[in-house]
Amino acid sequence: MPDFSVIIDNLPYFLWGRAFDGEPGGLLLTLIMALEAGVLSLILGVLMALAAWLFGGWTRRILFAWADFIRGIPLIFVIFWLYFLIPALFRTDLPDTLTVVLALAWFTSAAVMYSTLAGIEALSRGQEEAGVSAGFSRLEVLLYVLLPQAVPNILPSLAGVLISLIKDTSLAFIVNVPELTTVAGQVNNRTQIYATEIFIFTGAVYFVLCGLISLSAQYYQKRTQPAG
Amino acid sequence: MNGIALDFAGVLTGLPGKWLLSGFLMTIYVTIAGSVLATILAVLLLGLRIAPSAPVRFVGIAIIEVFRNTPILVQFLFWYFAAFSLLPSSVRIFISTDHAWAVLPVNNLILSPEFLSAAWGLGLFTAAFLAEELRAGLNAMPRGQREAAISQGFGHWATLRLVLLPQALANSWQPLVTQYLNLMKLSSLASAISLAELTYQVRNIESYNAHTFEAFAVGTALYLLLGLVLGQILTRLGPRPHTNRPARPTPSEAAAKVVGASSDA
Amino acid sequence: MSTSASPLIELQNVHKWHGDLHVIDGIDLKVGRGEALAIIGPSGSGKSTLIRLINRLETISSGEIIIDGVPTAGFTGRALRELRTEIGFVFQQFNLYGHLNALDNVSLALRKVRGVPKAQASERARDLLDRVGLASKAHHFPSQLSGGQQQRVAIARALATEPKIVLFDEPTSALDPEMTGEVLSVIRELPKAGISILVVTHEMSFARDVADRVAFTDGGKILELEPPEVFFSTPKHPRTQRFLQQLLSPLSVVGAA
Repeated sequence: MPDFSVIIDNLPYFLWGRAFDGEPGGLLLTLIMALEAGVLSLILGVLMALAAWLFGGWTRRILFAWADFIRGIPLIFVIFWLYFLIPALFRTDLPDTLTVVLALAWFTSAAVMYSTLAGIEALSRGQEEAGVSAGFSRLEVLLYVLLPQAVPNILPSLAGVLISLIKDTSLAFIVNVPELTTVAGQVNNRTQIYATEIFIFTGAVYFVLCGLISLSAQYYQKRTQPAG
Repeated sequence: MNGIALDFAGVLTGLPGKWLLSGFLMTIYVTIAGSVLATILAVLLLGLRIAPSAPVRFVGIAIIEVFRNTPILVQFLFWYFAAFSLLPSSVRIFISTDHAWAVLPVNNLILSPEFLSAAWGLGLFTAAFLAEELRAGLNAMPRGQREAAISQGFGHWATLRLVLLPQALANSWQPLVTQYLNLMKLSSLASAISLAELTYQVRNIESYNAHTFEAFAVGTALYLLLGLVLGQILTRLGPRPHTNRPARPTPSEAAAKVVGASSDA
Repeated sequence: MSTSASPLIELQNVHKWHGDLHVIDGIDLKVGRGEALAIIGPSGSGKSTLIRLINRLETISSGEIIIDGVPTAGFTGRALRELRTEIGFVFQQFNLYGHLNALDNVSLALRKVRGVPKAQASERARDLLDRVGLASKAHHFPSQLSGGQQQRVAIARALATEPKIVLFDEPTSALDPEMTGEVLSVIRELPKAGISILVVTHEMSFARDVADRVAFTDGGKILELEPPEVFFSTPKHPRTQRFLQQLLSPLSVVGAA
């Protein structure tokens, strides 16, 4: 019989780790990492998409090759590379959590770039031509005409990216950053006999989190796109 | 990278070389086993998901959503630490005993808790995504295809099998290939449950002789290579839609699409 | 052709609601063997629904449809599927199976619903393609055929299981004008082979030249049902008169509007 008292007993640890000792962990750290990596990857990804659209040609090809490379290798290798490269290049160590956040942002920015570019290019060519013939520069067309129209189309796919990102934060387990999955692993090692309860609970937390994002994206879509 | 002398011989020969080869093969084995499982489970999940009966459909939705919306790493940990121990002890002992017939080159045991948990975890996780891709493909089919089949006297399942699925499969082949490639990349996380695949062995070398850069570089190159080869094979083997011909992309286009596709853990 | 004796199709007080919308409002209709019936009427008049009810692409809300002496309104499952193999249906948008070539499009139901061996099914499919003038296109996929050719393959497909009835839902509306002729000339051959056809159409010349009777539907009812020579020269119902007048001299309507 499952005995979820192990969850109740360790609930604060699961939820915020040692936050009161200045070391947030568990679900709280998962959320912090997802938020930081999310904001960073959004900035990076949108900038890359804008650059690819504005300059085209080689800029675009290089950005795509870059994104394809990042998406072509396992995320865990992106994390490994940053662990190796940051000290080698900058001769200084970063906190583990920050390294993982940077790796997640780097990896996720490729998906953001794809979504943003797809959203912009899904608009009819007439929009761009109308903007240009009204005397806007290409940058102005992008900022004032295309991007505002593209946002409602991009948001749902960004919700998908965010869900992936939240799940990807679990990879911090492999480098022992104490977010939710790592904390679950720790409690499992300590208690030994409650693996079923611990990992079902952990999975359920991620499921609720991802489900909420998915539901709000659907709600948003229903509200902004009138029926029919 | 001044000041760092590269020594690839240090990872490609001797013991590290053997580890890498063994790990690379293990990655291939678990990818194949996971893909076969994923394909079978995807068909079953799709069957539930689009069944005529609403309660059955709900079960399909629930399974698909649970496995899509939790990290595969947590799923690995669950199968390995929790589910495996729930098996009858005779089965556990059988699996944990060494069997000569279950050893593939190079020294890779495929009847082990690690391998089974990894292959099953990858299979179920990927199946949920495959089923959703197929359902999207079915939803995108024009209504007339179904009506034509029904008007000819085909039943629900015959319509699906003979008319709708073959076309949905051809139309959504590229996203499906992406999911299989994703499975290959996600197998790297099975290193967390001690499956001695490529990522596990790369880290082994890192701690063995500190050839970190070389080991990462070789590991990265092998995953990229495997992705390209697998993508090519699947794209070539796949059905091609008969609409908008010529539908066949050039190999370089296909490879670009495949590598560029999104990943999801 | 005679509509007396035993009709092949008989609709008795058939109703169809879509929610609150009364799409088919108590229709009675008899169609004889080998008869060609043209169904015309404004869009939304229920004319497509009428024929979709006969092979039950739409469910019947109430009423009875007797086919060859057998009441079919209660049919479900296997009985319904067997009934459908005896009724061909040709769609406005052709709806050929995109993944199959012309030959396989025609033979699929023969093989998989009727269980005819492959060689035999292919031979019959080849004969049918020959009959619609497309023997040379047997191995072409739908995407490689023109609209007119696709529709002729669709007719061959509808004939594969040797139906006694073929229903046509605006078979030429999606075609370029120069292709309607080839399709209509295939359709007009069917009644000569003893097949009853019900054709929902906008082609007045087809209704006039080929149909034994013309039905005018509006508001879910059949308002007029006459042989074409009567229908087009002396329509009785005011709405038929208005409809025909608009069709025959559309400019006067624009002027009146």
